[in-house]
Amino acid sequence: MMAAMRRGWLIGLMLLLVAPGAAPALADHGVGTLDTVGSDTMAGLMLRWGERLGREHPGLRVQLQASGSASAPPALTAGTTLVGPMSRPMTEAERAAFVARYGYPPRDIVVARDALVVVAHRHNPLSALSRAELDAIFSESRRCGAPRGIRRWQALALARPSGRIALHGRNAVSGTHGLFRREALCGGSFRPEVNEHPGSAAVVAAVADDPRALGYAGLNHLTPGVKALALRDAEGRLRRPEPAAVRRGAYPLARDLHLYVNRPPDGDLPAAERAFLSLVLSAEGQAIVEELGFVSLPAEALAAQRRRLGLPSAGD
Amino acid sequence: MSRWWRGRGRLPRGEGPWAWLAAGSVALSVLLLVLLLGLLAVRGLGHFWPADVDRVTLSDGRVLAGRAVKEAPLPGDAGRERLYRTDNRDLDGALWDWVPVDAIERVDHPDDLVVLERRRWGAFVGRLVAWLPEEGERLEGEAAWSALRARLARLERQREAIDRLREQTLLPLVRRLEHDAAGSTAALEAVRARLRALRAEMAGDRLLLESVDGRRLIQPVEAVLRAARPNAMGVGGKLVAWAEGVWRFLSEGPRAANTAGGVWPAIFGTILLVMLMSLLVTPFGVLAAVYLNEVAHQGRLTRLVRIGVRNLAGVPSIVYGVFGLGVFVYGLGGRLDAWFFEDALPSPTFGTGGLLWASLTLALLTLPVVIVATEEGLARIPDRQREGALALGATRLEMLTRVVLPMATPAMLTGVILAVARAAGEVAPLMLVGVAKLAPQVPVDGDFPFLHLERKFMHLGYHIFDAAFHGGDVQAAMPLIYATALLLVLVILVLNLTAIFLRHHLRSRHGTLSQH
Amino acid sequence: MRDAAPDMPLRRRLRQGRDRLATALITAGGIGVIAAVMAIGVFLAVEVLPLFWGGGPGGPEVDLETLWLPQSYPGLEAPAHRWQPTLPDSDPGPRFGMAPLAWGTLEAAAWSLLIAVPLALGAAAHSALFMSRRLRTRLKPTLELMEALPGVVIGFVAGLVLAPWLERQLALAATLVLLLPPGLLLAGGLRGALPGGLRRRLPLGWAALWLLPWVGLVAVLAAWLAPSLEAAWFGGDLRGWIETTLGLDYAGRNAVIVGMAMGFAVMPSIYALAEDALSGVPASLAEGAQALGATRWQTLWRVVLPAASPGVLSAVMIGAGRAVGETMIVLMASGNTALMTANPLDGLRSLAASIAIELPEAAPGGLHYRLLLLAALLLFVFTFLVNTLAEVVRSRLRRRYRRLGGAP
Repeated sequence: MMAAMRRGWLIGLMLLLVAPGAAPALADHGVGTLDTVGSDTMAGLMLRWGERLGREHPGLRVQLQASGSASAPPALTAGTTLVGPMSRPMTEAERAAFVARYGYPPRDIVVARDALVVVAHRHNPLSALSRAELDAIFSESRRCGAPRGIRRWQALALARPSGRIALHGRNAVSGTHGLFRREALCGGSFRPEVNEHPGSAAVVAAVADDPRALGYAGLNHLTPGVKALALRDAEGRLRRPEPAAVRRGAYPLARDLHLYVNRPPDGDLPAAERAFLSLVLSAEGQAIVEELGFVSLPAEALAAQRRRLGLPSAGD
Repeated sequence: MSRWWRGRGRLPRGEGPWAWLAAGSVALSVLLLVLLLGLLAVRGLGHFWPADVDRVTLSDGRVLAGRAVKEAPLPGDAGRERLYRTDNRDLDGALWDWVPVDAIERVDHPDDLVVLERRRWGAFVGRLVAWLPEEGERLEGEAAWSALRARLARLERQREAIDRLREQTLLPLVRRLEHDAAGSTAALEAVRARLRALRAEMAGDRLLLESVDGRRLIQPVEAVLRAARPNAMGVGGKLVAWAEGVWRFLSEGPRAANTAGGVWPAIFGTILLVMLMSLLVTPFGVLAAVYLNEVAHQGRLTRLVRIGVRNLAGVPSIVYGVFGLGVFVYGLGGRLDAWFFEDALPSPTFGTGGLLWASLTLALLTLPVVIVATEEGLARIPDRQREGALALGATRLEMLTRVVLPMATPAMLTGVILAVARAAGEVAPLMLVGVAKLAPQVPVDGDFPFLHLERKFMHLGYHIFDAAFHGGDVQAAMPLIYATALLLVLVILVLNLTAIFLRHHLRSRHGTLSQH
Repeated sequence: MRDAAPDMPLRRRLRQGRDRLATALITAGGIGVIAAVMAIGVFLAVEVLPLFWGGGPGGPEVDLETLWLPQSYPGLEAPAHRWQPTLPDSDPGPRFGMAPLAWGTLEAAAWSLLIAVPLALGAAAHSALFMSRRLRTRLKPTLELMEALPGVVIGFVAGLVLAPWLERQLALAATLVLLLPPGLLLAGGLRGALPGGLRRRLPLGWAALWLLPWVGLVAVLAAWLAPSLEAAWFGGDLRGWIETTLGLDYAGRNAVIVGMAMGFAVMPSIYALAEDALSGVPASLAEGAQALGATRWQTLWRVVLPAASPGVLSAVMIGAGRAVGETMIVLMASGNTALMTANPLDGLRSLAASIAIELPEAAPGGLHYRLLLLAALLLFVFTFLVNTLAEVVRSRLRRRYRRLGGAP
């Protein structure tokens, strides 16, 4: 209440027209703002969910800042946002920083599945890569056991294309970058020659324009201009990035897409977050997931999460 | 030596090779500028033209319908391939199709191809087989098309009714609840029920569609936004459709994750940001200029300060963005939140980027421009005007407000417009202090206090960057990016032309003044 | 006189009081505003200082050596410069070598100047000395308008239109660059050979306009010649030839593309300032030279340019300042690869672009945050110094003109 009085003062003093945050009573009527900071991969999803939510709850707003997953934990910890979409799980350090500030861990909600695909130009004869080759191409540390680095197409025993492999990837703040580094490079470090694009769409566009390029991007960014390469596992079997394989977990570079929410474990969700999550974990929300080219969650996983969050079970 | 002179004497026309290279560099610069603007104009405006849809039959019997986008050579001199935008993403899984040009057997333009813009899955291209109303009989052929047209017109009205209900009834109700929490929840429920009823009225009717290769699809009409048969349109009809497209681009919000729809919130955000910035920068800039030119002792220190201010105009805008983030957002904003909005924490109010901090940052960025321009105007005023006023017994304040400032007004105006033109095109600092990818609710609305300075906003320049690099499919967003870029350039050109006109006007006015 | 009432002194005192108050307010406000603007440098310096004093605020220490000299990192054969600030602390640990960023910034600026300066100075010389007055009043504002084109638009065109196009049409672009200068000279020569009547229709003063179709013609010629030239000289694959024979790798987004885009962006400001400097040279000097029989180009080269050289130099410096700080163009057109190579066909990453994409994610107060602020401080100091130097040079030039112009 002190704050409310001071707020009155502020308005009087500064004559700055400042909006008070939505009062709790209003939130129950579906009024409020949902500020989200985080993953660029999930930006399209968040936008579509936001659009959908706006049609259901005319008073609810979703604001979105999407520059990369790494921007979510600092924003959650600093309190600049309540909902942080991330395309990778939080690291221990990020979680610890959050817990140190609030005393409880952020709630982790898995909202969809995605996979990283290695893409080449549509006319590239290459069709599969092993993990060691991938590492030798993209990293300078070669932790996955390749004897030497691969810089040129000739080293892959292909007649065409020739010359240096042009490498494209995401910039370091993105979860895509982090996941690929951890999983495909065995935790090593990228070559400095890998082009760092501000978005996955830009990676795919760059690869589609250059027959000598290789890149990695989210599954949902695939276009006919590029082709997704299969991964060869240790036994020599090909793992293709197909939705069924991703849902099963058979494709190695798959990942969950998370929403992190800053709420104490026993506290109820505020109405705005509640409405949003209940849309996301509904059949309709998952249809949007499919529409955007991600892989939807199996029904059991949805139901389990809804129960955990205390949301009414699906079907409403 | 003497021969050199004679040679020159005989060839008075020759300016030597360098003169031609110099002339060429002007021509080249103009050409580049024209090319750039032409590219933006053609691609940006062409996007709204409802071009004919090709039906392409390939030699292997495959049929597809779409619009050709570009061509590229196939590897190994195997001819060329062409990219068609075929839409129908729910059927094919992709918006595009690459087709070898040699494999194309026939291209024709059947009149009955329809293009449906849908709320989900993007557009549909194909044939309308039948109209399947909720009640009543199934219609086919022309009758189905006219039924669809009539239904779409009604849907449009129903959508408007819903929007009106939302804006004029629901939101005011919600606002009233703010003051009287126990009050009219019953009324609120009634409005919601009416909204639900309207929505139910929109649902029901369906379409039976068929793609050119014969796959069928049932499409609820509710999710169709617009329908057109571009191959059956005349030039007049296409012109009308083009104008409607441009208008929708300017007046609607973005759809489908910023890859379709319009840019109205971005236009609004850009203009509001620039207006707030000029409100902030004008008084402070003029104040500083008046101080520097009229009040301060004109010594070495003032000269140094003047040079310093002038040079700040050359400091990169990103540096101002860093300052805005560190001082305004993290410093001032965090402090404000801790003091005045602690009941909203951890949800930040001012501790995150927003309209206020962005406009302050831009104001700081453009302050040197305004100071320099105003000072130039002040320096141009002959001292005898000031002396005359003082000699007539005016105090310095009266001299300033009655004589000097009115005469310097055009210079100030020029400065402000130059500042606006510079600010409207800046994107880098905004990325640090509060631009958002999507903020469909503009920062001005009917909610007290009407102008929400803490909100994030959209911006035309950032929209370009975002759609070009963060969007789902760059190729699909390209035309929209061109159109947005064209719009931004036009806005800035208009502002600059105003400044040039004003400067011209000012010079001619003061030119006559100093001759008295 | 008429109302020499006793309230007169009171009113006067009131007026004077008001005046004094207003003066004080203006002084306070003016100083406040100026201080606020100047606070930028102070803020950056204060935030950056803890980096070097009292150890880094947690995390790995940095000092001048780790920032600017090659370091040996695990997994790498030789010491190298690496800017990989977001690698996890535990393994393999973040790497803060800022040298590639500074190098990229300077490289981008150098290439853009290499492209902008000849164009801008050529254009300035032509429009100051040769262009017809009527055309000049139209053309000069047009070229100045170019300055207002937003970086994000130029960056978009460079990154998503120009870069893919160049990748496909490298040979055409190279042919065009080769053909343009001789093409222009040929235009001059052909015009000289024209019969008098036709020649008068094509005056040098309007060359900027009538050369436009000619340049277009040269471009068409280049498009026609390019495939056969590529086949004859480079075995039909210029890019492959560059890679195998020259040993240079071609990256789709490279320093030359950034240079072209940014050159286009800074060219108008260099042009405007250089043109002002050239046309500000007192007419008496040029007239004297021409009276002695010099051609206009000789006048420019021997008389006007030396007189205006400080102004031209300051124009170039201001262009350099702009190029160093331009963010969006580099961000969108460069590929953002933190490399330290001299190969102009490789990508680069600049300080400004790094700030724009990394600062929002860096935790305030952390090492990464402060290093990005250090980058901002470097940009600030560099541009401030360059601009001050340019300003000093220009004010000297103004004095020189006054002296020259004042001479009888």
